[in-house]
Amino acid sequence: MRFTKSRWLAATSATMAALACFGAPAATPRYGGTLHVKLRASSVSLDPREWTPGSLSTAAGEKLASLVYDRLVTLDDHARFQPALATEWSHDAAGRSWQFKLRPGVRFSDGTPLTPSDAVVSLQISLGKGFEVTAAENGVVIRSSRPAPDLLEQLASGRNFIIRWRPDGTLLGTGPFLVTESVAAAPSEANPAAIRPAKIKFQANDGAWSGRPFVDFVEVVLGEPALRQFLDLQVGRADIVEIAPDLVRKGRQEGLRIWNSAPQTLVALRFENALAALASDQLREALWLALDRDTMASVLLQKEAQPADSLLPQWLSGYAFLFESPMNLQRSRELRAAFPGGVQGANQPLRLRVDAPGDLFKLMGERVAVNARQANLLVQVALPAGGNNSPAPAIGLHLFAWHYDSLSPHAELEAFVKQMLDGTELPGNTTDPEQLFAQERRLLEERRILPLVLLPEYVGVRSNVHNWNASPWGDWRLADVWLDSEDPMTTQAPAGPPKNSSTARNPGARP
Amino acid sequence: MQPFGKTCSRIVSTHLLFPRILILVAMLAAGGCFSASASADGDVSMREAAQRLAERVAGIPGLHGALRFEWHQAGEWSEGESKHWREMLRDEFEKRSLNLTEDGTAPAIEVFAVETPAQVVLTAKTRAADRDEIRIVAVARALLPPGSLAAPPVRLERRMIYESADRILDAASAGNGTEAGLAILLYRDFEIVALRVDLKGAVKQNVPLIAANLKPSRNPRAELTPRGGVISVELPGKACEFSWEFPADVKCHVEKPAAGDKPLWRGATVLTSPCDGSNWKLLNSGSEPNAREVLQVVPDGTSGQSNSAVLSEFPGPILDTNGEQNPGSALVITRNLRTGNYEIYKITLACGN
Repeated sequence: MRFTKSRWLAATSATMAALACFGAPAATPRYGGTLHVKLRASSVSLDPREWTPGSLSTAAGEKLASLVYDRLVTLDDHARFQPALATEWSHDAAGRSWQFKLRPGVRFSDGTPLTPSDAVVSLQISLGKGFEVTAAENGVVIRSSRPAPDLLEQLASGRNFIIRWRPDGTLLGTGPFLVTESVAAAPSEANPAAIRPAKIKFQANDGAWSGRPFVDFVEVVLGEPALRQFLDLQVGRADIVEIAPDLVRKGRQEGLRIWNSAPQTLVALRFENALAALASDQLREALWLALDRDTMASVLLQKEAQPADSLLPQWLSGYAFLFESPMNLQRSRELRAAFPGGVQGANQPLRLRVDAPGDLFKLMGERVAVNARQANLLVQVALPAGGNNSPAPAIGLHLFAWHYDSLSPHAELEAFVKQMLDGTELPGNTTDPEQLFAQERRLLEERRILPLVLLPEYVGVRSNVHNWNASPWGDWRLADVWLDSEDPMTTQAPAGPPKNSSTARNPGARP
Repeated sequence: MQPFGKTCSRIVSTHLLFPRILILVAMLAAGGCFSASASADGDVSMREAAQRLAERVAGIPGLHGALRFEWHQAGEWSEGESKHWREMLRDEFEKRSLNLTEDGTAPAIEVFAVETPAQVVLTAKTRAADRDEIRIVAVARALLPPGSLAAPPVRLERRMIYESADRILDAASAGNGTEAGLAILLYRDFEIVALRVDLKGAVKQNVPLIAANLKPSRNPRAELTPRGGVISVELPGKACEFSWEFPADVKCHVEKPAAGDKPLWRGATVLTSPCDGSNWKLLNSGSEPNAREVLQVVPDGTSGQSNSAVLSEFPGPILDTNGEQNPGSALVITRNLRTGNYEIYKITLACGN
């Protein structure tokens, strides 16, 4: 049982404290400039309808969507739900019926007013079946088919943005920025062999109900490899970049500002659903016992990850410390010796496919194969499909990355199970933490999913960026950051908030 | 920890739909949404959580005999908060005939407390009839009482005199005698509100400055100056004036840019020592939002590097300082990083250490 005084929370706090020490004190925030952001995802969608739960590209899309769209409520760092597009809310004793009053006077970026029907359409899509959303005077009513005491957690996170979908395909939001430019990746004109990365440019929304953001523009370049992002931050070609876990130590040694979130991504193994029935209980148990998570976290990921024993992280569930995944090679070998003939992993290799992008995950797949071999299990990392015509052997095992999206542990586990276990639904009312724990324990004991490590998000922040105040769960809050004026990358601007710009702009976001 | 100032309006209108809870709302409103009510209400939520956990533990089949209580916490709690939880849990366990002992050889009942983004999760773990038994309850963190911060040693006399979940923009002493108390400017739900608060911290008056017609801002700024019963409020590009006697009559006008080198906002706060009449300047940077800040009080005319500086650490960034009528004291506004609340401290320069 690992019950340490939240190492990640402590690390975050320490990092934040360290961050605060960087840069010269400057009490007056400054308006203006362009914030340059680089992300690894090669493409993102700002349309939540296109998001796949748990995927890394969805996480990037959600991060950018929060620039353009608002939710009904937000959760602050002190566990308090704060009014956003909803100013008041109430619910019945069972938590089945919720009423929200919309903030008056809010307008979309094209100047049209926010209406209850906008919220109804958005929330009916995002909350999905099990919820009925109807318009009420000045607000919306959300009815749940079962008690939903965690509805505020759900509405404050994930894809629960309020959006207006226009017939021409553009999306409108009420958020602090609007999309002015979206360029897809394409071959470079100068060098057709090279790919010019995709780029999205956001402009400050002068009429935002929550106040104009400090920076004039946020320019996001997509598909930037980890090392290039790192170098761009070093030489001042980017203000905010994602730092790969294997570059964190180097970054710290070189004095870069590096912020980390609570663990946001679970890396785990999943037995192929179609093959799960074929794979014996002993095989799943034997592989589980053979996995050396500590070495993966401490060596492969240079102590920038945490061994994972659970599906939900401790910061989200509060009970993850109750789970243990002790490595036991001896017991694993005993189970292997007792395998019946013909089981994959014994006489024929169990093929492992790495479903997550990037070299780091490939290395983890190879590490799994090494661990398996130590227990006399045969696991072979599958190469990408080749050009020959012979049918590829079936995949028995997947290595995947799951990004946590919801602030509701129940909603998160439900989405995880549905996505990863072939549409399975969690039975009963699992918003009770004891029942949720029992559900998660049952899932873990089936050994169809074998957690490996938990990864926080690491972000490099250039010293010219002030008021960086991201939430522990990875909300960057870019509308609140401001930039030094002495920066050749940014446009000079007056210290006060600019007057409404008359620059022609596209008020919508095209997904 | 309940955001009483911030959610005061929300609670009132929310619960109009539920008359049963209206009484609670009325009680909160009567208390001016002030921290005393918060603490009492928070204690109720804490007690309820402890009761629920104790009931579940008491229901474990085969749990007999003396148990050794062990407490583990993963939240960044003060010793005071932690002790409060332990005492409440022990109390509730004992009420349900669970025999708690200090005997180190007795089987343990371990209670783990973990903070998640919105909740405190309490987990009890013990063994009964040769099996591990686990019981878990959760309580919304926002319903719990504010934590008591372990105060660092200070050489300035200081005391917290008001706190609010709403952003506090400025504060000033409101006067003497029966009028004594504070005038406070809050930024609440994108509007500026002036409060008159008595010496006990109870809100006596609440004047929204709607007439200022301000645009929402991520960097709201305002300063107030009480002159008798009249309050002048300086805003970006505007000035407003009203009196506590006629709060509905708020007059605002657009201000021309300050002539010459007249600063728009107040300058550094200077205290006068009651011992020798020397002047001391308050220095703070208020730069980044995530760090506790040390207020430096340095002899006027020197920089922050002075060897004779008096230092006092605050539980978050210092947002503003303002001198008082008593030249030896000032008000300091900070944001407590632990609770998220805005706090006003009264600091007084005292002789010697």
